[in-house]
Amino acid sequence: MSNPSTAKAEAASRPAATPLLDFIRAARLPLAIVVTLVLFGLVEPRVLSFGNFRNIAVQASYLAIFAMAQTVVILTRGFDLSLGYTVSLVSVVASMAMVAGGGDASIVYGLCAGLLVALLIGAANGVLIAGIGINPLVTTLGMSYVVLAFASTVSGGFPVTGLPPAFNAIFAQSAPLGLPTPIWIAALTFVLLYLVLKATRFGRSLYIVGANPKAAVAAGIRTVPVLLIAYMLCSALTALGALLLTARTGSGEPNLGGNLTLQAIAAAVVGGVRLSGGEGGMGSALFGALFVTVLSNGMNLVQIDGYLQQICLGVIIIASLIVSRDDARR
Amino acid sequence: MSSGATATAAAPVKAERPAPHKAGLLDRFLMQGGIVITFLLVAVVATAIMEPRFLNRLNLLNVMRNFAFLLIPSLAQMLVMTAGGFDLSVGAVLAISSVVTATVMLVGAQYLPGMEWALILLSLVAVIGVGALVGLVNAWLVTGFSLSPFMVTLAMMSVLVGIALYFTQGIPIYGVAESFVSGVGRGQILGLPVVLVISLVILAACIVLQRFTALGRHIYAVGSDLRSARLSGVATGRTLAVAYLLASVLAALTGFLMTARLGSGQSTIGETLALQTIAAAVIGGVSLRGGVGRAEHVALAALFLAVVANAMNLTQVDSKFQTLVLGAVLIVALAIERLLLRRRGA
Repeated sequence: MSNPSTAKAEAASRPAATPLLDFIRAARLPLAIVVTLVLFGLVEPRVLSFGNFRNIAVQASYLAIFAMAQTVVILTRGFDLSLGYTVSLVSVVASMAMVAGGGDASIVYGLCAGLLVALLIGAANGVLIAGIGINPLVTTLGMSYVVLAFASTVSGGFPVTGLPPAFNAIFAQSAPLGLPTPIWIAALTFVLLYLVLKATRFGRSLYIVGANPKAAVAAGIRTVPVLLIAYMLCSALTALGALLLTARTGSGEPNLGGNLTLQAIAAAVVGGVRLSGGEGGMGSALFGALFVTVLSNGMNLVQIDGYLQQICLGVIIIASLIVSRDDARR
Repeated sequence: MSSGATATAAAPVKAERPAPHKAGLLDRFLMQGGIVITFLLVAVVATAIMEPRFLNRLNLLNVMRNFAFLLIPSLAQMLVMTAGGFDLSVGAVLAISSVVTATVMLVGAQYLPGMEWALILLSLVAVIGVGALVGLVNAWLVTGFSLSPFMVTLAMMSVLVGIALYFTQGIPIYGVAESFVSGVGRGQILGLPVVLVISLVILAACIVLQRFTALGRHIYAVGSDLRSARLSGVATGRTLAVAYLLASVLAALTGFLMTARLGSGQSTIGETLALQTIAAAVIGGVSLRGGVGRAEHVALAALFLAVVANAMNLTQVDSKFQTLVLGAVLIVALAIERLLLRRRGA
């Protein structure tokens, strides 16, 4: 797969492959995004307005951050099912810290408290998965309920209001150079993570650990710290997204993350991150997030019931699992 | 290639190690449900000491009923997990079959007025049909496309919950037949709740299936090593399909029985059921890698969870913290399993 000459030879030996089909296959996600936009635009012209594009970009930046977080651990053959409830807990805890501190300076407390909580969750996941060696799916499933219990009780289950107005102003309303802050932050995160994956030892280790854990050990990679850092990085990114979402809603919400686990997984999988590890990257997460956002934005604008959207999300995950499996065969 | 390398590396180490079954007694105790029996005994004794109301006859009946409602889907989860799979959609199947049960009764009452037992049978058939359909779709996606069962059933959960909520908008469906509630939901056979009797019959069936039938052996074979099972002539696809089918049908049956208990069809039940059943299975010694697990141990684990939940209710622990305990118990049980495996050098 990494060898271009054999890939070319395989492509040449495939009789059915035409340049057009190859192009469609390679660019299917951007194409799917455009086609989805146009289809929804035919039903509801507002979909194609400039204001809505801006909307989509902002919404996609939150999801992209979560999808990138999920991607970091999926690359290692892992998973984080506690992502959604971590978002809720970070939102509540950060808000409580800001309210307790009072004043604009307390924003810093909030950011630190949120990040700290997330890092604790990530470290717990990492120790259980890497240190003890428990299955990541079930570990993070169990962890998700532990986190849910805290998220729904820390503030008595109520939204935390009274955040400093500057929090919302800085992290949600401001738009340096005309682009809203969330887009800047998502873009910056993307660039940083892209560089980390491509150009650092840790980034390459992630791929090797995911592609072949035994080979990674044989190659002298210390898998335990790599996995531990991966889960902590995943949670830290989750906290970043959660803080941005909290700034947007202007209050700490115990229910903020409900659907986000599934959406982040959907975005990563649709983008082409392989669940068997070692394949995909931050670009996959970004495009996947954009696609899922375009779809849900379109469904919202043509007023498709929220529950039907949930059905669609499930179907899309299964469909892209099947498609990516076919890719692996080629 | 890499497995060969590790085998040669591990061989001399193993030779130096003292006889592996030195801790045989402890190991055997742990293998044969020791963990779950210990858990259960501690939970029962501690609860009885802390809260004497626990031993009250009515409370024990209540525990047994909750145990029964957990036992059936836990056995379902066990069947799939021993076959090397996972079923996160059990809770969603529960919700959708509750909705189907109530809907069939509500709509059917207009065509078959006064024939309540016919309606009950009709809804049972419908529910089993729904369960079978879901199970077959799960199996088809998992085996036909060799997809991750965890992901398939996670996505399926989203689809099924979405369907149940879409048709009900989250509002309970009333109009369940009277005799359904009184006969099945509150009924008793020999002084035991109907649900408990049904669940024990299913437990017995599962024990027979695992110990005495070819299908049971095939499920273990497929779960422990799919390839060698196929090479030794096991119809792996069909075995997996039967496992998923049975699991979904059992989950659907639970939804049917729970509707009788609640007296209405509810699309919001079963949210934590996937976690509960996986917890019961894992505490009962079912391996996450498939191929290992006994129905009777899973039953003890389900009883343990029912006792713990009851203890928390009696001591008025916030129901939200019950999910915390559930999550923590699951992780602890897994950690114990994992550490024991490691000690044994696996």
